[in-house]
Amino acid sequence: MAMLGKPIRVSGLDPNFKADVIAHEAARDITACFSCGTCTAACPVHEILPEFDPRKIARMVNLGMRGRVLSSPYIWYCTTCLECEQHCPQNVNFFNVLNVLKNMAAKEGYAPPSWVNQTRQVMQTGVVFATEEAWVKKREELSLPPLKGDGREAAKLIQSTGADEIRSKE
Amino acid sequence: MGCTTPTRVPQYELSTRWICKRFGIELIDIEDFVCCGANQINISIETGLLLAAMNLALAEIQDLDIVTLCPWCFTALAAGVEELKKQEVRGKVNKQLSTIGLEYNGRTRVKHVSRVLYEDIGLDRIREEARRDLSKIQVAPHYGCRYLKPQWASEGFDEPNDPKTLHQLISATGATPIDYETLNLCCGGKVFPVSEDLAHSLIAKKLDNLQDKEVDCMVLLCQTCYLMYATQQEKVSKKSNNQYNIPVLLYPQLLGLAMGADPVADLGINLNVPSVDKVLAKIGKDL
Repeated sequence: MAMLGKPIRVSGLDPNFKADVIAHEAARDITACFSCGTCTAACPVHEILPEFDPRKIARMVNLGMRGRVLSSPYIWYCTTCLECEQHCPQNVNFFNVLNVLKNMAAKEGYAPPSWVNQTRQVMQTGVVFATEEAWVKKREELSLPPLKGDGREAAKLIQSTGADEIRSKE
Repeated sequence: MGCTTPTRVPQYELSTRWICKRFGIELIDIEDFVCCGANQINISIETGLLLAAMNLALAEIQDLDIVTLCPWCFTALAAGVEELKKQEVRGKVNKQLSTIGLEYNGRTRVKHVSRVLYEDIGLDRIREEARRDLSKIQVAPHYGCRYLKPQWASEGFDEPNDPKTLHQLISATGATPIDYETLNLCCGGKVFPVSEDLAHSLIAKKLDNLQDKEVDCMVLLCQTCYLMYATQQEKVSKKSNNQYNIPVLLYPQLLGLAMGADPVADLGINLNVPSVDKVLAKIGKDL
């Protein structure tokens, strides 16, 4: 990532970061990572965008680089194909680890607007995509059943977790 | 039916409903279903699980299992089933579900439609019903990520490193599946909302590979993969100065063609981009 080739200042590390991450059960596997890089070798995004590097993200978490990891745009560049997990010799569930990191970053306002807006959409219509008039009509033409398009109950659940309060700094 | 298919890829829904009817599978729509939570986990894992649980609870009330068209819905709901086996988690989730009058007791089962076709209908029955001759059609299968992974979600249904089931499902229609180097490459659909360029690069890699193979079409089982390889194909062509023209069919459309369905009325093939005309011409069927 941006850190490549630069020295890491120990004073800038947060020894509690890893503990905060593995406090989430879904991310506990990260402690098993021994940085072999099989994940990175298997990653189709890394092949196109070398800055996206699962091994490096895991290493940064284990070192306690809280600020660098959570503010990094690259944690959002995973296409979630799970090739990393498929090949990991330590059975690290990197998809879950990354989700925990993204959740933490989202609370600090780093989530891309596209994901934040999807939550709004679900609260309004119950689904991720807007059900515009043209599509409603198309479905009628194809004799497909109408969509309810009601997000009230989903909105209640979303509000109960505080996910509706998440904003994007962008 | 999920979020994307009903409005963005209705031909997937239309053709699946036709296939199911022909095989005697009764699909019961639950109109209160909401988003499965697959995308919400990006910003809140807890929210994703609650939405999955809401859908599982809605199916449970009617004593129904869930069949999904979307592989993302499948894994999000399957992950919900797994997570909610833990009494402590279920108790907490049910407390929140009770605010909307729901409760989940762990009875709902979830399958992707591909697995229903493969396991519950079976290749033999598909072969019997596939009467139209598709033998001239060379097909590139695209499995997509959630069809195969995580493997536990579909209880070892297929082998992610060397998948076979879609090849077999295609063969059963009479068409010929091919092998190609980028078979397991991801479509980039889940990074598309964050970076179109990155998704386009991933799409181009597979289309380049397939152009060299001179296949008649791609066949896949995910509406997001469809949106990437089909809907985005023209844009990717322009960006890469490479004029791709690879028709993309959803598997139920291919199966429907083999079973004698009307391509437009039953399968919505006129909605596919790029045009599927060349494939239809090869099997002696015009739009």
